[in-house]
Amino acid sequence: MSDFVAVAHPAEVPDPGSMLVEVEERLVVLIHAAGHWYALDDVCTHDGGPLSEGPIDADAKTIACPRHGAKFDIRTGAALTMPATKPTVAHEVKVDGDQVLVRLKSGS
Amino acid sequence: MSSTLASTGFTQEAFDSFLAARDEPGWLVDLRRQAWARFKELGMPARNEEEWVRTDIRLFKLERFGFPTGQFLDGDMPHSLLAEGVELGGSTATRDSANAGTQLSEKWASQGVLFGDLAELAAEHGELLRPYFERRVVDPRRDKFSALNAAAWAGGAVLYVPRRVRIDQPLHAMSALSDGGVDLNKTLVILEEGAEATLLTETASLTHHGGGLHCGSIELIVEPSARLRYVNLQNWGDQVWHFARQKAHVASRGGIQWTIGALGSRLAKVNQHVALIGEDAEAQVNGVMFTQGRQHLSYNTYQHHVAAHCRSDLLYKAALQDESRTVWRGMIKVDRLAQRTDAYQRNDNLMLARTARADSIPGLEIEADDVRCTHGSTSGRVDEQQVFYAMTRGYTRQEAVRMIVEGFFQQVFDRIPIESVSEALGEAIGRRVRAIAEP
Repeated sequence: MSDFVAVAHPAEVPDPGSMLVEVEERLVVLIHAAGHWYALDDVCTHDGGPLSEGPIDADAKTIACPRHGAKFDIRTGAALTMPATKPTVAHEVKVDGDQVLVRLKSGS
Repeated sequence: MSSTLASTGFTQEAFDSFLAARDEPGWLVDLRRQAWARFKELGMPARNEEEWVRTDIRLFKLERFGFPTGQFLDGDMPHSLLAEGVELGGSTATRDSANAGTQLSEKWASQGVLFGDLAELAAEHGELLRPYFERRVVDPRRDKFSALNAAAWAGGAVLYVPRRVRIDQPLHAMSALSDGGVDLNKTLVILEEGAEATLLTETASLTHHGGGLHCGSIELIVEPSARLRYVNLQNWGDQVWHFARQKAHVASRGGIQWTIGALGSRLAKVNQHVALIGEDAEAQVNGVMFTQGRQHLSYNTYQHHVAAHCRSDLLYKAALQDESRTVWRGMIKVDRLAQRTDAYQRNDNLMLARTARADSIPGLEIEADDVRCTHGSTSGRVDEQQVFYAMTRGYTRQEAVRMIVEGFFQQVFDRIPIESVSEALGEAIGRRVRAIAEP
């Protein structure tokens, strides 16, 4: 299993907001919404679009792909609207002091 | 240590040192400087450019690499897949873009054939080769990678075959890469009028999990009535970044058969372009791809019919396992004057895992009104009934899948008349195939 990797300082990411980070040679979008932290693969499963450049809806807990508008659940990575039909990968996040840490989902 | 690499980054200072260390004719240095200026102007490709939309290179860090300045002294070379059991007319090799030796049969050398290290032969036969360099078959201004290769190419092979010389033995060129190395090879092939040759080129890493950078170019010039059979096997380690532009110019009544095998690399972005510039020219393009792990292979093919009465026929087949991905974008472009064109393109994908993904995007752009242009694309999974049938005959599930994959590629292997090539590709793919999960 991967270890938690420090990726950001909490103050670096506004709420709501997101930030693109690299974790073990993988692009991950770190999301800060309604006081909670989430991390997803920065890949829209429809067309490979960068979710880190898409808008976040903190109330609905979604992030939308900037290319075609597919929405994903920021908690689970589930694809919620067309044109995406497959989930993107969700990773574990925790805040420890002044660090936000991400652990890649095992086997992902 | 057999070679030394200076990973100084692609800076102006490093470029000046790179040029100073090479003893090249002024015209060649000028070409390099022009391309360098373009390299500095250009940014990395934007993600919204159609060619790059499906190929994410944000994890690629160009600054981690630098000019290959090593001298090959001795050391290991990867095992050649294509040359095994073949009686070669000559061979040449590089490692990390440094010349690792050449030999050419006296039979061909005495007929004026040039074959070997591009830099060495460009220095020795500058006046002969200069017009072909200046033709810029691959446009160095096209993007940052093509500009980098044009400015900083090092190593690579040249094959020049004079008029009506027909080489009936294959020639072989190997480009090897050590872990973390840089390969900026350029390949230049010139077949004068009526000449014939077969060139097998192969890229490979010293270790299966090796990393590094390949930023290369291939220029194939087939003059009137000449015939070139060209095979290019990409078999890098699975952490190599591979960026390449490859283009052929085929003149009237000339012919090219161009086979690509793509097995290795972490991410490959290749533009393969055939321009039929003289009447009655023809091109057959074959592609064999097998991906696994998290590999991403993106091939953009372009069949450009510039002149009338030409034929082009492209068949790309890919099998994908694990979480790998292929992208094939094919275009047949027929210019207004290219009447009576006969062009075909087809891409078939065999999905060996539900987590793999193949994007297949054929396209036609036709300005002439008397042509036949068709295309096709298929993607599908292994037929479980076929697996079941094979298993009832005593094969294991893995053997059954391997047979089905072999059968899938047979159509393209049948088009490759060089037995050693289809056998090598078949064996290399067979070794990679694992049993697929039961449904």
